[in-house]
Amino acid sequence: MVTNSAEQEVLNELRDGVINYDEDSVREAAKKALDLNIAAKQAIFDGLIPGMVEVGRLYEEQEYFVPEILMGADALYAGLDILKPHIEDEDMSIKGTVIMGVVQGDVHDIGKNIVKMMFSVAGFEVHDLGRDVPLEKFVEEQLRTDSEMLCLSAMMTTTMVGMQEIIKKVKDKNPQCKIMIGGAPVSEDLAEKWGADGFAKDADNALKEAIKMIESLRHL
Amino acid sequence: MGHNLSPRERVLNQLMGKPVDRPPCYNGMGNVTTAGIDQLGYRFAELHEDAAKMAAAAATSYKLFGYECAVVPFDFCVEAEALGCTMNTYEDVNHLLYPTIKEKAIHGQPDPAAIAIPEDLVKRGRVPVVAEAIRLLKADIGAEVAIGSYLLGPITLLGQMMDLDKLFRLCFKEPDLVNSILDKLTQVTVTLARHYREAGVDYVCIREMGATTDVLSPKIFRKVIMPHLHKIFAAIDYPAILHICGGTNTVVDQMAGAGASAIAVEKKNDVVKTRETIGSEPLVFGNLDTYDLLVNKKPEDVQQAVLESLDSGVDAVWSGCDIWPTASIENLKAMVDTVRQYGAEKWRRQRG
Repeated sequence: MVTNSAEQEVLNELRDGVINYDEDSVREAAKKALDLNIAAKQAIFDGLIPGMVEVGRLYEEQEYFVPEILMGADALYAGLDILKPHIEDEDMSIKGTVIMGVVQGDVHDIGKNIVKMMFSVAGFEVHDLGRDVPLEKFVEEQLRTDSEMLCLSAMMTTTMVGMQEIIKKVKDKNPQCKIMIGGAPVSEDLAEKWGADGFAKDADNALKEAIKMIESLRHL
Repeated sequence: MGHNLSPRERVLNQLMGKPVDRPPCYNGMGNVTTAGIDQLGYRFAELHEDAAKMAAAAATSYKLFGYECAVVPFDFCVEAEALGCTMNTYEDVNHLLYPTIKEKAIHGQPDPAAIAIPEDLVKRGRVPVVAEAIRLLKADIGAEVAIGSYLLGPITLLGQMMDLDKLFRLCFKEPDLVNSILDKLTQVTVTLARHYREAGVDYVCIREMGATTDVLSPKIFRKVIMPHLHKIFAAIDYPAILHICGGTNTVVDQMAGAGASAIAVEKKNDVVKTRETIGSEPLVFGNLDTYDLLVNKKPEDVQQAVLESLDSGVDAVWSGCDIWPTASIENLKAMVDTVRQYGAEKWRRQRG
């Protein structure tokens, strides 16, 4: 897509608005983008998403922390609310289905909500089971929807151990389903030991994993 | 040291700045094991509301693997429940789960004026159960081992009472509002710390696990967390330890200045760096991995981790967080035995 300088400026405003968690300036830039006839999809992928990628980078650098990520996400949503109704029908094709939730015993859902946001933006159909989700519920829902992917989150050591049972049950019944696990106490070793396909160490890595998936999708 | 120290003497002498023969091996978090609970014929879910069962289960860690303390309760909901939240003990779930808050007390924008600390706080919820369990433990093994309890720090408690994502945004956008609420919750921590002391605890661990730098910036830590921790430690007149999990190296200087008898950290804290930051004087406890090491690995791995921990500069070998109950007794024995056998020799403070 060719971008002229006025368009580029608006895309930068969208990006910077997310980085600076400034909902008002994102709203303004989103309206400008529509006035300039920038495709809504381009405004999202070349404006809002790079802003969120930068927020993720700043989190990794420990410049930003969870409040800043949440407020960046708020700004991104503010832009999406305006841009989404203008996405062309042919751009709306569903990329895949994901089931996600926080395992039973754990009520910490911030990381999961951020991952959910990224998947939704990328065009996935997300079945969000919420938090404190019983193990059987994940298995049931995966079988019911035949989703391509299952994302499990736990924020405490005391709850992550439930994941291995879910992974085993889902893999036994549906080996094709890709399973990604994440949350502060989870490690790559544990992911491998428990038979998960992917791993995201914490909110930061979950965000990066989600972004990687989105970016690879753009090249499909 | 004219005589062999009992575990209790070792723990308390160290916390009170007196000399000890070696670092103790204990913690200020949950340390009950499935092995201990099974031996008594109990289920984890039924321990939380029954003082006798709670005390009996807590005593098994000393009895089974020589842990030098006994700690109650086993969950993080006591304070929030006393303030009106509802707990879920997962009575119907077969595998072991820690209770959580299923109904928060604060909905929407929190109003400091609307948050009242009940006059009869110590009679609310399960506070009497925990206090009674402390009395029973004291009578059972209190002469030999140190009896401990833990309380949530104010921001962690507020996180139990309202939605965390809302709280985190508020910490950033309206720190003054958050501070005025935390001021009130500080009273809860102090009141319960005093109440548990009357029941017989030797030490208390203040757990501010919501304040890890994985989540909040050192700047917010200074502005919103520290003022309340200062007040808490100034108001508690017996040994009190500050524990924060997650990455804490960037705030460890603040932690060390909070006024606690000691600070406790988990494996994400690089203790060598911590010593560079805060020097050799403050007591630092930690920092064994509670799941991957104690549950999944073998006794020789545990021994190595204990030695590394001592070598890095800890003064007492603590688990970084609650010991996951399915940890094997062999591993836990290896932990305690390694400290017994090599503690004096490997203790950095002793080596100078």
